[in-house]
Amino acid sequence: MRRDLQRHRNCRGICRLICIVILLVHSARASDPSVESLIVEPTAIVLHGTSPQQILVTCKHRDGRLIDVTREAEFSVDDAAVASAAGTKLRGTGDGTTVLTARFGGHEARVPVRVKSIADVPPVHFVNDIVPILSKLGCNSGGCHGKASGQNGFKLSVFGFDPEADHAAILKEGRGRRVQPSNPERSLILLKPTAQVPHGGGRRMSVDSLDHQLMLEWVRQGTPLGRDDAPHVIALRASPAERVMGLQSSQQILATVEFSDGSLRDVTHAAAYTSNSGIAAEVDAQGLVRTGRVPGEAAITVQYMGQVGVTRVLVPRPAALTKPTEWPANNDVDRLVWAKLQKMQIAPSGLSDDSTYLRRLFLDTIGTLPKPDEVRAFLADTLADKRSRAIDAVLARDEYADYWSLQWADILLLNRDKLGDRGAFEFHRWLHEQFTRNRPYNEWVRELIVASGRSDEHGPVNFYRAVRTPDQLAESVSQAFLGVRVQCAQCHHHPFEKWSQSDFYGMAGFFNGLERKPVKTAADAKVELVYHAGYRETRMPLTDTLVPTRPLGVAEASPVRSDARLVGHDDPRMQLADWLTAPNNPWFARLVANRLWKHFLGRGLVEPEDDLRSTNPATNEPLLDWLTQQVVENRYDLKAVMRLILKSRVYQLTADPNDTNRDDEQNFSHHYIRRLSAEVMLDAISEVTGSPEPFPGRPRGTRAIELWDNRLPSYFLDTFGRSERTSPCECGRSGEPTMAQALHLMNAPEVSSKVANSTGRVARLLRTSPPITDAAMIEELTLVALGRLPTEKELRVAQALFASTTRRDAAEDYLWTLLNSYDFLFVR
Amino acid sequence: MLSNFCDGLDRREFVRVGTVGGLSLASLLRAQAAELTPKRDVNCIFIFTLGGMPQHDMWDFKPDAPAEIRGDFQAIPTNVPGVQLTDLLPKTAQVMDKLAILRGMTHGDSDHGRGYHIMMTGMTPGPGDFNSTKNNNVHPSIGSMVARMASGGGALPPYISAPCFLRSGGPAFLGASYAPFVIDADPASPEFTVQDIVLPTGITDERSLRRQEALRAINRFERKVADLGKDVQSLDTFYQKAYSLMTSAKAKEAFDIRREKESLRNDYGMTSLGQCCLLSRRLVEAGCRFVSIENGHWDTHRENTKSLRDLLVPSVDRAIPALLRDLEARGLLDSTLVVIATEFGRTPRINVMAGRDHWPNAFSIVMAGGGIKGGNVIGATDKIGAAVTDRPVTPPDMAATILSMLGIDPDTVLHTPLGRPVPLALGGKPVTELI
Repeated sequence: MRRDLQRHRNCRGICRLICIVILLVHSARASDPSVESLIVEPTAIVLHGTSPQQILVTCKHRDGRLIDVTREAEFSVDDAAVASAAGTKLRGTGDGTTVLTARFGGHEARVPVRVKSIADVPPVHFVNDIVPILSKLGCNSGGCHGKASGQNGFKLSVFGFDPEADHAAILKEGRGRRVQPSNPERSLILLKPTAQVPHGGGRRMSVDSLDHQLMLEWVRQGTPLGRDDAPHVIALRASPAERVMGLQSSQQILATVEFSDGSLRDVTHAAAYTSNSGIAAEVDAQGLVRTGRVPGEAAITVQYMGQVGVTRVLVPRPAALTKPTEWPANNDVDRLVWAKLQKMQIAPSGLSDDSTYLRRLFLDTIGTLPKPDEVRAFLADTLADKRSRAIDAVLARDEYADYWSLQWADILLLNRDKLGDRGAFEFHRWLHEQFTRNRPYNEWVRELIVASGRSDEHGPVNFYRAVRTPDQLAESVSQAFLGVRVQCAQCHHHPFEKWSQSDFYGMAGFFNGLERKPVKTAADAKVELVYHAGYRETRMPLTDTLVPTRPLGVAEASPVRSDARLVGHDDPRMQLADWLTAPNNPWFARLVANRLWKHFLGRGLVEPEDDLRSTNPATNEPLLDWLTQQVVENRYDLKAVMRLILKSRVYQLTADPNDTNRDDEQNFSHHYIRRLSAEVMLDAISEVTGSPEPFPGRPRGTRAIELWDNRLPSYFLDTFGRSERTSPCECGRSGEPTMAQALHLMNAPEVSSKVANSTGRVARLLRTSPPITDAAMIEELTLVALGRLPTEKELRVAQALFASTTRRDAAEDYLWTLLNSYDFLFVR
Repeated sequence: MLSNFCDGLDRREFVRVGTVGGLSLASLLRAQAAELTPKRDVNCIFIFTLGGMPQHDMWDFKPDAPAEIRGDFQAIPTNVPGVQLTDLLPKTAQVMDKLAILRGMTHGDSDHGRGYHIMMTGMTPGPGDFNSTKNNNVHPSIGSMVARMASGGGALPPYISAPCFLRSGGPAFLGASYAPFVIDADPASPEFTVQDIVLPTGITDERSLRRQEALRAINRFERKVADLGKDVQSLDTFYQKAYSLMTSAKAKEAFDIRREKESLRNDYGMTSLGQCCLLSRRLVEAGCRFVSIENGHWDTHRENTKSLRDLLVPSVDRAIPALLRDLEARGLLDSTLVVIATEFGRTPRINVMAGRDHWPNAFSIVMAGGGIKGGNVIGATDKIGAAVTDRPVTPPDMAATILSMLGIDPDTVLHTPLGRPVPLALGGKPVTELI
């Protein structure tokens, strides 16, 4: 038992595996001609003690395919007195050197092995050895003992962020039954997870597992907390980083960590693995990835001791594209999307027709339907560059600023409940001006970040009124402008990222000292003066220790560190703004590129769009890199970046899938259909029915996308999910369909009265002189609602209506039908 | 692969394991929780007395306390020997054999908005993550959990609120699909109609049929809806559900409270609460799984006695016995859990304005039906009703109790969009003494 433990524990398989060396030996035996070589990782193995080292064997085929054959390969060791192969692992048996040979398909590869310190029993370290087990088994997760109230009286810090508290909880609470030094095997900490006594969480490990042996050894050694100066983990590497795999195949992951003393350790069996797409690929507790029956991709996250690594798995369609597919490209957007599609063996859909394209362009860019005349003119235009000209024309429209201020008002929490009428109005007016002028994104964000002044005079200071504490600002700014969800780190180490509490409070420090003073005015009691009173020190509440004010990810010793340069009354937000909007900021341009992509294509390259992290990779990294670069090269001119997206063929693809891309939801092989957002749909209904929505206190004809007040009472906007503007992510806006929406569109008196309005569209068309024909009426109503001419089917349906009742009823019935049709409710 | 969920073990499996070895108290409670799980669908009518219902003057009377604590009411016997209520509740006293009073409810928050959230969801919001805006749930309301977890409902939505949206009744991270269907009208009003379920004025059935046929022709026959993506598919499903609601006589009738005999409507009382209770009975009878009712104005900081006697309690004392008797007469009592909850209780001592203030430390809620044991008083408070002395019940316990009785495992873990695992009842334990 002790010996096994030592094997498990002690591995410092020092493997110089930074570059993969191909060890190739031509075999005398008949070899598989399709195989070019075998690759073995690590390329050199050093074992301390008897703990195992995972071996990874990859077969490189002549056609370039890399296939994991770890489980099929045969292993042998020259000197059995030094090491022996057990399954896919190598274990030391005595000090010395030898060679490991892996054989497969008539090929073989040899790796040098060195074993030392075989007799040592190392001290177990609570933080380095036991906490990772508690994390891997899920004991300290938020759903179990990690939640604030604990579970059945046993509470651990979530994800082990507070090891000392966990150590105390195990040793001192539970009336001392959790560990029994006199009878280690009877400790509850061992009996519970092995379900030898009833355990609400069930059996989490088996009695003969390495994890169990390690925990038992820890109890035997007297449950040490471990030495403070013991080496700690500083990096994790998952190999392979990316692999193209077949359906229902497997791939072993090799997880290696680097310690602060430079040593490496194989943690393949100790790390925790999760797949972000169980359909495409699953992963087991040993790091073995298995693909499923359907093509797709997955990011496998590997976690150990707060460090994370990722293995990306691509599973192409098994049937290669047979028909030669043409891949014409308007720009690099197309080239980069096509490259990915070719990898996945997916063919794109065709280009959408002119009317579908024009409606999509209008709704996506300015939240407005094209008018019948605009549709007719576009259809009649025969010049080759007409789509390109339409893009320029739409981007120049006044509605552009209305629509984009609405998008950003959601992200920046422009909420009248919190800002008061005047504050919300001024904030909105300022935002609107930025989009009217197409002011570079970095410039207006800088102005917002450093904003000071009166809330009724200087719009952007209201950002600091909706969000009021340094902690909340650290969260909001990180999420809104960086796409980094650092809020997890307020209380515990981020579960999927490197962020710790010092990162969180480092960011919060920039807003420490931000003051809001009430200003008495006659008109509005809620006016405040916002200013920064100067840099001050920030303490972490949990530990009451000083934490340097510094931007996310900037090392504490870096010259960029804010408080290293701050004196007296400096406003530290200046340094934050410099760092934030610098071209080399790793997230700033990337996030806005991803936001724009999601806005126009319906799905972010990273999803959720504001959750950028290494463990949540983009589905097309080269494309996101390129778009990010375009943001910077175009000097943060967002219209210029939009133009690139809008001009691409990818944006122009139809929503109709083909046989190769029907299930594709990640690679933009066809357009993704979305429901019109609440405000846009209400405007569209008003426009189509010719009956403007009355908003209290607003002039007649005011459009919903122009409203600065998201609290204006409106059952329609509430039902269709306008943003609550209470949380700094676009998830506050709900596009989800509900039954109330369907009922409202079909039956609401508000919608019905618009259709039948005596000054509305139907009534006006009926009054035209000379009288309009049925056919012209049908065409006009279809054009205004769907932005296209009626289909044969629609014509027949409409004609049947006109044949069965009065013209007025028929026209209203047809308009009602159009308003409830999916071609109206969705952007196609 | 190891389950990410805390509860890796099948519930029944666990009961078996638990009876083999030594039973800890916790495991015993869990085993009993499994027994709370009903054999058939149990629905819930959840009545929320908004403002804070006074425990002293109704459910936890302190006859021996000084007058400034005891208040102005007298103890009366009930049809259960040894259980007394106040003389505000004479009719309710006659159905005490169907009620369970939980006198040990407790949480620490005396803010209305937060108390509402706590008692609708079982979850106490953190300092920064809650404001009192509409539909700002941090955790899903119990009704949304039921909508998410329970099957059934038929043509009716699974979760319905009346006579308005309950401010803490939202779905939080579960998403809009699990929000309540809101009846935004008072069923006691002569003009009562349910929003959008009937055809707009001037549209005849014949004309509606023509419109629906035209719509089906355009929407459904041109293309496969499946090819249009998930959002279209799910709106398509809701259109079908909405249409079946509009056209299902049974479902639409459920909303039509005028179909009830005038005498029965009068038994419930022609008050908002009375008619909401009657409407709720109709809804659960027709397949709805969870109805929440808001009944307001219980914040009696001044003139507590007068408000309770003249305005608030009479409608409760009329509606609750009528509801329970009606459910029983229809054989629905055992499959309908009725809950009367509130944000918090009220202060033991009557203040200078003859009112009682907020008191979250100890208060009472009431349950009936759904297979619970009637005539049951669970928990106790000290001699002035200020602190729980026996069987405290926390909001997560309450949530766990309701979920268990509706056949939903309260330890079910769902994930937020950020991927954070959240157990439905946040570790609450069902009150097993109820059965």
